[in-house]
Parts: sequence; C-alpha cells; structure tokens
Amino acid sequence: MLSPTDDDESETPFPTLDDQPTFSSLLSPDDAFAPPLSRGYGGDSAAESTHSRLRRVNDRGGSRRRKRAWKKLMWVKQSYPDNYTDQATFLENLQRNPRLKPYDFWPLVADSTVILQHVCSVIIFVVCFACIHRERVSPVSVVSWSSAGTFVGWLMWERWVTEEDQVEELNTSISTLVGRSGSLSRRRTRAASIRRPTPLRTEASLSIAAPSAPPSRPPSNEGSAASSATNLITGSKSPRLSPRSSTTAPSLISRPSHESLKMETPPFIIKDVNRTHERLGTIKSAVLIYCTLLGLSPILKSLTQSTSLDSIWAMSFWLLFVNIFSFDYSGGVSTKFPASLSTNAALMASTVLASRLPDTRQVFSLTLFSIEVFGLFPVFRRHIKHRSFQHHVCLTVVLVLGAGLGVGLVAGKLPKDQPWPWKRGVVGMIISIIIATLATGGCSWWLIGLQKYKNEIRGPWDPARPIIMSRQRWDEGA
Amino acid sequence: MPRQTYNIAMVSDFFFPQPGGIESHIYQLSSKLIDRGHKVIIITHAYDDRKGVRYLTNGLKVYHVPFLVMYRQATFPTVFSFFPIFRNICIRERIEIVHGHASLSNFCHEAILHGRAMGLRTVFTDHSLFGFADAASILTNKLLKFTLSDVDHSICVSHTCKENTVLRASLDPLMVSVIPNAVVAENFRPRDYKDSPNGSGVFGPDTSPNRLGPTDIITIVVISRLFYNKGTDLLTAVIPRILENHPYTRFIIAGSGPKAIDLEQMIETNVLQDQVEMLGPIRHEDVRDVMVRGHIYLHPSLTEAFGTVIVEAASCGLYVVCTQVGGIPEVLPSHMTTFAKPEEDDLVAATGKAITAMRSGRIRTEKFHDQVKKMYSWSNVAMRTERVYDGVTGKISEEEFYGFDTGGYTGSRIRNFALVDRLKRYYGCGIWAGKLFCLCIIVDYLFFLFLEWWQPRESIDICPDWPRKVPPEEKRHSSTSRGRNTS
Repeated sequence: MLSPTDDDESETPFPTLDDQPTFSSLLSPDDAFAPPLSRGYGGDSAAESTHSRLRRVNDRGGSRRRKRAWKKLMWVKQSYPDNYTDQATFLENLQRNPRLKPYDFWPLVADSTVILQHVCSVIIFVVCFACIHRERVSPVSVVSWSSAGTFVGWLMWERWVTEEDQVEELNTSISTLVGRSGSLSRRRTRAASIRRPTPLRTEASLSIAAPSAPPSRPPSNEGSAASSATNLITGSKSPRLSPRSSTTAPSLISRPSHESLKMETPPFIIKDVNRTHERLGTIKSAVLIYCTLLGLSPILKSLTQSTSLDSIWAMSFWLLFVNIFSFDYSGGVSTKFPASLSTNAALMASTVLASRLPDTRQVFSLTLFSIEVFGLFPVFRRHIKHRSFQHHVCLTVVLVLGAGLGVGLVAGKLPKDQPWPWKRGVVGMIISIIIATLATGGCSWWLIGLQKYKNEIRGPWDPARPIIMSRQRWDEGA
Repeated sequence: MPRQTYNIAMVSDFFFPQPGGIESHIYQLSSKLIDRGHKVIIITHAYDDRKGVRYLTNGLKVYHVPFLVMYRQATFPTVFSFFPIFRNICIRERIEIVHGHASLSNFCHEAILHGRAMGLRTVFTDHSLFGFADAASILTNKLLKFTLSDVDHSICVSHTCKENTVLRASLDPLMVSVIPNAVVAENFRPRDYKDSPNGSGVFGPDTSPNRLGPTDIITIVVISRLFYNKGTDLLTAVIPRILENHPYTRFIIAGSGPKAIDLEQMIETNVLQDQVEMLGPIRHEDVRDVMVRGHIYLHPSLTEAFGTVIVEAASCGLYVVCTQVGGIPEVLPSHMTTFAKPEEDDLVAATGKAITAMRSGRIRTEKFHDQVKKMYSWSNVAMRTERVYDGVTGKISEEEFYGFDTGGYTGSRIRNFALVDRLKRYYGCGIWAGKLFCLCIIVDYLFFLFLEWWQPRESIDICPDWPRKVPPEEKRHSSTSRGRNTS
C-alpha cells in the first residue's frame, strides 16, 4: 500500500542534493509540487532520475527503495512516513546547561556572609527584646546605645556619600564634555529629579532664590533630589538614613507630606548649601518622627491586649521568618527600596512584640530600635560591603559574636547569684562562631555539590528573548 | 485491501464557539475525515448555553458536556469525574479511536486515560511548544508524561514541536508523527485572484506583475494577538525605525491584547497616526480582507509551534517577514519569506530587504496562492491522519508503520491493553510519580469495572449513524490503486 505522503509529485528527485544543513538554499519552491518533466534538469540529475525510477521499478519486490535525504521541512512532500525520525538531525539544536557558571567555594562563602549578617541582626533584635521583656536591661539604655551607633553610622555614611558624589561629579562633568552620553545621563537625572518629590518648601524656594550662583554643577545628581517626603520619616527616626536610602518605613506610619513636585532642577545650587540644608532637614525630620513615635507608643501598648501570648510568639516568629527569607540580599548600594515585604514583616513583628511590653517607654524604645535595626542597619551594611571587604568581614564577625553572646546571656534560667552569666556568654560566642563557619562553609559546599544535578534543556521551542536596543525597560520586564 | 473506516471521537476543551487555531484544526480535520468516510464526533465542554448535542456542517456531531470551567476555557482537572459520561458517549457512538487535542486540555488527558481503560486506541495531537524551566511547564510536562505513557500514537504540528513533545513526555520518536496544520486556501485568496483557465496557476499565462514605483506605498500587515510572546515589544521597537528608513510605507495592525497600549504610545510619541493603522480585534473571517490590503506580512512572534497565520498570509499573496523561532522555518519556502533573528536590528534589516525586493519586483507574489494551495490542504492532513489511525489499529503492519529500522528497540510498539503491561508503562514515569500514576490507573480500572456493573453496556442505546460518505478519490482510483498495491 502506498503511504499517503508518497504521491507521484514527490517522486521527482531534487535537482541539487548536498548535505548542507541550511535548507533555504537547497530546495527550489517548485519541488513541492511541480510535475517531473516540466523542468529542465542538468544531465546528471536527469540521468539520476531515470536511474532511480528504474531502480524503483526493479526494487518493487518489497525491499526499501532508495531514499532521498530527509529535510526538516513541512512544505515539501517527502517520500518518508510522517513518523520518520532522522537520526542525524533529530534534536540537533538541543542545548544542555548552556549558561552554566560553576561556583567557586570562597566567593560563595564570602557572598553568604550577607545572609549571616542579617540573621545575626535579627537574633540580636530578639535578644534585646527578651532582655527588655524580662526587665534585665533598661529599654532606655538599649535605645540610647543604638541611637548613638546610628548617629555615628550616619556621620560615616555622610562622609562616604560626599566622597562618592565628588567622584560622580567629576565623571559627570567629563561625560558632559564628551557629549551625547552626557546629555543622556543628564536626561536621566532630570527625569529622576522630576519623579522625586521634595520634602521641604524651603529647599525649593532656596533653589529658586539662588539664581546668582554659578552653574557649577550639572543638575542634581542623586543627592540633591534627595530628601523626599518618605525619607523624612525614616530620616528622622534615625539621622543615619539619607535620602538615597529611603526605606519602607513610610508603610509603617503615614504622615501628611508636602509633595510639591520639584520643577526642573536648576543647575546652580551650590553643593555645600544643599548638603547642609539636607542634613538639617534630616535632623528635623528625625526629631519629628521621634515625637510621633512617642505619641503613638501608648496606643501600641494596648494594641494586642486581647490576644494570647502564644499567638504573639508564633506570629512574630513567622513574621521574622518571612523577613529573613524575603530580604533583598543581592541589593547593592544603589538599592532605593529594599524588599518591602521583608521590612514590613520585620516592623510588624516588632510592633506585635512591642505591644506586649507593659510600659510605654519600653514600647517606644523597642519600636525605635526595630526601625534602626531593620530599616537603617541594612543600608549601612550594604555601604560597608561596598566600601571595603575587610570592614565587611569585621562587621560579620562582630555580629556573629554579638548574637552568640546575646543568646548565651539570655538563654536558660537566670542564675540567682549573678545578673549576667558571662561564662555562658563566652560559650555562646564560641558556639555561634562554630555554627556560622559550619553553616556558611557547609551550605556553600552543598550548593556546589548540587550543581551536578543541574540539567537545563534549551532548544528552538523556547520563547526567544527579543533583543531591543532602543528601550531599556524591556530588559527589566523580561 | 479495502480501506477501513473508523468511528473517531475528537476530544478537547477547546472548540467552537471559541475561536482559535486548535478549534479550527479540530473542525477542519473532522470535516475532512468525514469526507473520507469515517464517523467523527467531537467531545468538548459546555460553552455558556451551548450544552448537549449539537450538529455542525457535514454531519459533525458535537457533545458539549457540562463541566466546571477553570481557566481560559480549560476544565477543572478531576482525574476520574469525566469517565461515566465519556464511557456513555463512547458506547453510544461505538467509538474505536479516541483522538485528544492540545496538552493544556484536561478533557483530552482524561479521555486518553479512560479510553485506554476501556480498550480503545488513542491518538494525541500536540499543538503548542512548552519550555522546561518554569513551574507551570514542569507540571504540565509531568501530566503529559502521565497520559502519553500509554497513548498509541502522537501527532505534532511541526518537527520542532515533535522534538519538544518527545522530550517533554519521554516518548519513542517513532511513535510521534509530524502532520502540519493546513489552511482553507479558498478562504485566503489574493485580492484580484482569478482561477486560471487551464486549472493550474503556475503554468498559466504570465500576468505581468504590477511593479511598484519608488514612491508607491507599500503596506505591511501585522495580525496577531498583542501579547509578549507574540513579539509585540519587538514590533513596537521596529515600526518607527522601518518608517524612518522607508517613508513610503504603511502599517496595518490588527489584534488586541495587553500590549496594545504600548503600540498606541509608540504611535503617539513618534506621531505616526497617518502611517500606522490599528484596527483592534478582528474576526477570523475578516483576516483575509485585512491581509489583501497589504504587500508584506510581518510576524514578529517569539515562539510558535506552526504559525498558521503566515501560511494564510502567503496564501493571500503577501511576502512574509518572520522571526526564525520554533517551527516557523519549516513552514514556508525561502522565496516566500525573509527570516530574521528575534532582534530589533535584524528585523529592521530583514523588513528593509523585503521592502526593497518588493519594489524591485523580484518577488512574484501572484504565484503564492497556488503554491500554498498545493503545499497545505486539509484533505492531505486527513489522509495522513488516517494513516496514523491505520497504524494504531493494526491495519498497517507494525513493520510497515514504524519501519524496519527500529533503532535498537526490540519490543513491540503496539500498546496492548493488559492492565499489567499498562502499569509497567506508567511505572517508569518517575520514582514517586510512577507509583502515583499506577495507583490512578488501578483506581481508574476499578471505576471502569464499577461502571460496567452500574450501567451495563446493554442498557446504553446505540445511536444511529449518518450514511457514510464515499471519498471521491476512492471511487476514481478504486480499480487502479488496488491493482498497484498488492504487496
């Protein structure tokens, strides 16, 4: 019986047959349907065609007739059954693990310290809560120490940002000279400045009032567009936070803000004026937030009075768990909004925990402390990592030791004779170091070991990734 | 050897009144199979008020089964609940072959599963490509592996689709056939097309091609749903550049989707209102009328199993510019298409080349219709599908159907119905999945036995058939072909 694809038209031999894989040049369109004798073939192919026809006549006894090479095409009628699988070309475009980048051990360990730092700061927060809750530490001392630390951190941060801005300014002025790229970057900064609301009317008026200033700098690079209404909150909670690192604190408390859109930033703000002004603004908003929090504390105190203690523990555990797992560990210095789910979860956990404390002062202290730990400390950590790796490692060690010490001091029942079981603290530090080493090293080693199971299949069936030059945002979207 | 005819049930979630490629594939294939003397019914779920049994043209019976529709017209996947009514329909209609369509259709998977339990031959047609990376694909692929472990034969619409399906469901490549989609060429005629007097347009008198002058307008048509995977972002990026390079060019864009807003923004930003016309969604009947307004069809899709629309465009006499993705390179000959990589620059260059070629008159688009008509026809698809049916029912011997070169595999490819053998096939699906699947099969079989007791076969009415059609070529060739093929 004749197979359905095997009609007479397909018996025509193809004029050219070579084993080149590119199909476009091989077949003439008429091969699909043209009757055999309508085209003049070269002598060779004509001879071949008669030859093959003869063979076909001779071989009709049941053995397979001579076949032409199979083509991966559908518009041409081929003398192969539909389920024919060409051994040579089947799955030839299959790629396995095309973009596999093997991990190295030590860089992996170095990267994992970021996670370690965050886990440790969460532990430290919990330890502080436990201390406050058991009334072993005065809440005021916790918050004063942390605020002092925050202030020092802010000063350092300020210095770094100023240094970076100077470098950036240098680059910008160079690139402005170069021309097109400069204009591009200017356009970008302008767009950024339009998008960002300014917190203080005074600043706007100031910038208008200063037209006489020499056009010394290109329109606001990130610092000038700076302090936004949202930053105002975070900034005032702790002076360390700068405009650039506005965290998600706005989700905690919503405040009226003057969202006057900054107009086209004039290129003639003197940097120092701007900087000082910004600092003043930050301090002012810090004070404002301080007062707001003070006012809110009595409300927070009675927030969860009707909820049982077990529920509170479970809830705060899960919220901190969410915080650790959804934290944006990969974010660099320029991350404007760290993972909001993570920060919100942490702040909610701290609110829930704070609401169990009996005293308004304690509630206030814990909330402020949590904002410092979860909102501002990550920004500082990112900057440290950005600035120098040694400092980053030192900070990691300090945090690990601190967490171990804290857990050692808090865990277990308090011995009667001494208020602070220092021996336990030392043991805790040793254990924490061991656990941290094992965890980072072990997990990195495990991840590298797991790579051998990686089997990514790619092929022509995958949706292509379009390469679009003129727009940047598709890359982010896709 | 007389040609055998079968009772076939096409099962899919997707059917008319919903428009789409799978839907029209099922309809056209069924219609042509009926023309070839088979009996075909379609089983799908109820669409709005369309419940129960409906008849379409050509005596095609459609069962709209009431079922919970979950997402994008796919029904809720309950592994067993479709069985009673499916069994009833199969016995009523004396079904011999169950043919499921589309891998996202729950009805199709259930029908294949239950069909095997009832001792029917099953065929599966895959219409789409899937990746291997995202969660949805992984789930679908596992499900596909489950149902296709025991299917008699699979059909894919392109060779790329075959590779994809073979990988996804771990199939024996010889048990997968490639049968392309087709177009109803009569519905996609060029604007001033007249049938040549001698019947074949290719050798007819050469109508002089209307050459386009350098200032004549060339119209580029785009008809696609405006989604990300249809390459609308690419389209948005290339249109201004093409119009900049070739001022005497116009675009007509038909279709709707979430990316339409981007296109409109692009038109407004670049002030192209008089050069780009957006028609919005159009019905399938109107596609031809839109296509014949243009000279070039641009298809920027990022993934495509077959790409029926480019065949339709070529049939309308349009030169096709398309991205080289999925099964598209297999579909049309090189003189009808220009391929581009899915990159903005390359697509602009390819379209520019196509416009230049159109202007220089090098492309004989007036011949396209007749050529496409001979490449793709539904009756050819039906004929090739029939061979698959012959193969699975044992009409064609296994050696002939699968070839002598079995690639080292010595076992039989005929799927027998013994429960033990079926369980063996499912067991290999995975460490846990294999056992789970076996459990499902056993439950399914017990359910089948229960149904046999609860609703005995004798109590189910057999519905009378339409008189079968005799295919025209059989009438014509009955004497000659039978004489030739006495092997």
